[in-house]
Amino acid sequence: MMVQLTINGELKQADVPPETTLLKMLREYLNLTGAKLGCDVGDCGTCTVIVDGESVNSCLMLAARAAGSEITTIEGLANAQQLHPIQQSFEELGALQCGFCGPGMIMSAKNLLDKNPEPSNAEIRDALSGNLCRCTGYTKIIEAVADAGQAMNSAEA
Amino acid sequence: MIKRGRGMACMWYPIGFTVAANPSAATVKVNTDGTATVLTGTVETGQGALTVLGQIAAQALGIATDDVHVVSADTDTTPMDTGAIASRTTYVTGNAVMLAAEKARDILFQAAAPLLEVPPDQLEARDRKIQVLGFPSKSVDIGTVAQHSETVLGAPSIGSASYNPPTVPMDPETGQGKPFNTYVYATQIAEVEVDDETGEVEVKRIVAVHDCGTPINPMLVEGQIEGGISMGVGFALQEEILFKDGAQINPNLTNYIMPTSLDMPEIEVELVDNYDPTGPFGAKGAGEPTAVPTAAAIMNAIHDAVGVRITSLPATAEKVLGGILELQAS
Amino acid sequence: MATRTKDVQTDADELVTAREARAPAKQPLTLPADDPVAFPLQLPESKARLQTPAVGQRATRPDGRLHGLGQTQYIDDLTFPHMIHAKVLRSEHAHARIVSIDTSSAEAMPGVLATLTGKEIPRNSFGPTLQDQPVLADDVVRHRGDGVAAVAAVTEQIAADALEKIKVEYEPLRPVFDPLEALGDDAPRIHGGDTNIYASKVIKKGDVEKAFAESDHVFERRYQTQMVEHVPLEPHASIASWDGNGRVSIWSSLGRITLGREDLARTLELPQSKIRLIGTIVGGNFGGKNEITNEPILAMLSRKTGRPVKSVFTRGDEFVSSTIRHPFTMDYKTGVMNDGTIIARKIRIILDGGAYCSWTGTTIGKGSILAPGPYNIDNIHVEAYAVYTNKTTTGAMRGFGAPQVCFAYESQMDEIAHKLGIDPLEIRLKNAFSEGSSSPTSQTLQAVAIKESLNQAAQRFGWKEWQA
Repeated sequence: MMVQLTINGELKQADVPPETTLLKMLREYLNLTGAKLGCDVGDCGTCTVIVDGESVNSCLMLAARAAGSEITTIEGLANAQQLHPIQQSFEELGALQCGFCGPGMIMSAKNLLDKNPEPSNAEIRDALSGNLCRCTGYTKIIEAVADAGQAMNSAEA
Repeated sequence: MIKRGRGMACMWYPIGFTVAANPSAATVKVNTDGTATVLTGTVETGQGALTVLGQIAAQALGIATDDVHVVSADTDTTPMDTGAIASRTTYVTGNAVMLAAEKARDILFQAAAPLLEVPPDQLEARDRKIQVLGFPSKSVDIGTVAQHSETVLGAPSIGSASYNPPTVPMDPETGQGKPFNTYVYATQIAEVEVDDETGEVEVKRIVAVHDCGTPINPMLVEGQIEGGISMGVGFALQEEILFKDGAQINPNLTNYIMPTSLDMPEIEVELVDNYDPTGPFGAKGAGEPTAVPTAAAIMNAIHDAVGVRITSLPATAEKVLGGILELQAS
Repeated sequence: MATRTKDVQTDADELVTAREARAPAKQPLTLPADDPVAFPLQLPESKARLQTPAVGQRATRPDGRLHGLGQTQYIDDLTFPHMIHAKVLRSEHAHARIVSIDTSSAEAMPGVLATLTGKEIPRNSFGPTLQDQPVLADDVVRHRGDGVAAVAAVTEQIAADALEKIKVEYEPLRPVFDPLEALGDDAPRIHGGDTNIYASKVIKKGDVEKAFAESDHVFERRYQTQMVEHVPLEPHASIASWDGNGRVSIWSSLGRITLGREDLARTLELPQSKIRLIGTIVGGNFGGKNEITNEPILAMLSRKTGRPVKSVFTRGDEFVSSTIRHPFTMDYKTGVMNDGTIIARKIRIILDGGAYCSWTGTTIGKGSILAPGPYNIDNIHVEAYAVYTNKTTTGAMRGFGAPQVCFAYESQMDEIAHKLGIDPLEIRLKNAFSEGSSSPTSQTLQAVAIKESLNQAAQRFGWKEWQA
């Protein structure tokens, strides 16, 4: 079945079997391999993308369910002039090690900062609680999210 | 009621394989503009090995981290490496990279010596220059030297080397011997809060002071410590594979509980000022030692808080509460 | 969880129709105001990366930038033309003899291109110390994670469905799960022979029994640790592909490719020069990706089908089939003087050695050497044994036995401190190594920093001032 959706501002479509998840559609049909497959059952968060303004485990969402929606993936954050402030902070503060949790973690962080530009430490931890990381202990990730929030606020001011 | 407690644990941990040879080889090539390429057979598993090895080569050549490109993990093109195991990469592969870079650098010294009118052993590589020891104003830019060496003298600047930590086999009956060439040391102190009505333990704060010799990249060492502590917290309080009749009953991330961002304490990291002359620029290593003392520190803190001595991990709320009730009964 | 295709089709059609009806009319979108991301990015480089000297700089990682952009290519992100997918069938029993394996129904399925069993592997054994582990079990299965057959098919789903069509006949054997039971005389011998003990270590120094007799206090306690898994976020993955010259290229999440190539040369009976093993950026290892797993299987399936073959562990496979940390049962007996000086330590460790040896040799060695702790103790006796059990293979996991023994020796240290009324910091400082101290194996230690770490940590924590 033909599924059409908007990804990172571009209209895209693919002909996928009906049981295809959004994650598989992104990775195997649209060549967007940023979102990862870590467990395929919504436990680890490495597949997190933003669908119509909400962060979602794309392994749990059927591609059909996402039809017609606006999706943001990790590939849509940077532009030719600069990294997204979250990507910039993550890089500067050494927040990622193996990087496998990175795209999902950054999308959850973006979802938080888009809605709550000055989150407390507890609010950051809460927003990231569905994204598992085994390498970093989350410490530098949390610092980087707070740092990115400040950068985003002063950019707008 | 919430009871607070503190506990400390210290540890020692070796670098490299136990007695057995575990060499690493490396090749360093200097380009005609003074930038360089490192070839290493190790694998980047997330710990930052490629960055650290690049910094070691850069240091030996007197150039910056960004001037070095590291190529890894292809049996067709990179030299042998025993692997990213046993916290050995910074020390063993790092030494191999340093020795290889020094060989490449010595070719540059041979080329620069007549240009600077001093013998090669009077030269050093610093700040992207080859300069005279004690008289830095007499110098040539490293790119110029590399270009001259390769295209005028016909001597490209390339070096290969290997390193294996020296050991002494352990006696089969007494175990006496020298199994490793160096060890690292650390202390972690944990502060916990225990709910004496539910047995739930929350780790509020951990102070971690680690020896890694010279930290080649302090930001990456901190990352290893923080990551190791998260594995330690999981080992202490949450993680357990449960078996029934030979089958795992929780082979998934819903029922195998491991730390999330909500479970992490505030972590304060400090590094001990130490230098190991057998390591590259004094460095030792950091990968595994970071996960070693955490569980012990937390168990000691639980005892400090509620007087319960946990002797089997993990310290689930059930076990802690059971201990509390036992104490109250007696 | 199987989805019923027909039901999903109907639901999905309805969803698409409903959503399209609700969504505002969409024009093919113009690109956003900023230029879309195009490489290279024109970014200033980080200062720390441009500084000399390089050692000591908080240099940012070039791979870190690629991770943040989602540009890093892990193995599952790689595709090759005509690539197919493999899955491995795992044992239904913890201990059984394989009577027969019938792959014919699987082979008959449309989309299945090849199957593989252990008997087809030229040399079906591997392991870092003892080569006691089969690539695919062909005779006996020793834990439920043992692979017994593999399938290569044009899609992952077909490969997974085909596994269900493979018929394996087992003759169940009596299993043993508890390591202490496995030590017993009537326990089933998991690898034959006359004992399930497959590795042991002894470290002896001075005279412990004499020293216990001279001690003011003797502390005894048993400590136990549990089975835990590495949980790398990236599951094990590999791809195999042959070229016209009979060379096989294998991309793998393996942490040691030089020795991995040797393992492949052995199991496939090929010269090393015919094998190319490529390690990509790995999504976490922690010790669990240091041995070959599916690589020889994929090489053989690729050879049979003439296509590149990929396989990725499911999260379930990660738990059941990849290695885990050895549970330790540790008996510590420590002789102490009234002033807190430790003069004797006797330790007995039983390692739950799982179904195969894997990295037990290293774990038992390190665990034994480290077990007495970073303390000056003149009289030491450590005995450690690793025992086979019919559970998941225990292998290398961050620390090789150190986290387990540290839990024991530091718990006991606090118990001693508490009983003798000595501050936990003071008792450690009293006993800890100094520069030039002698280790349990009589090595002279150099660049020692244990007391410094204790004092520095205590200061930073505010140990002396702390109030509950």
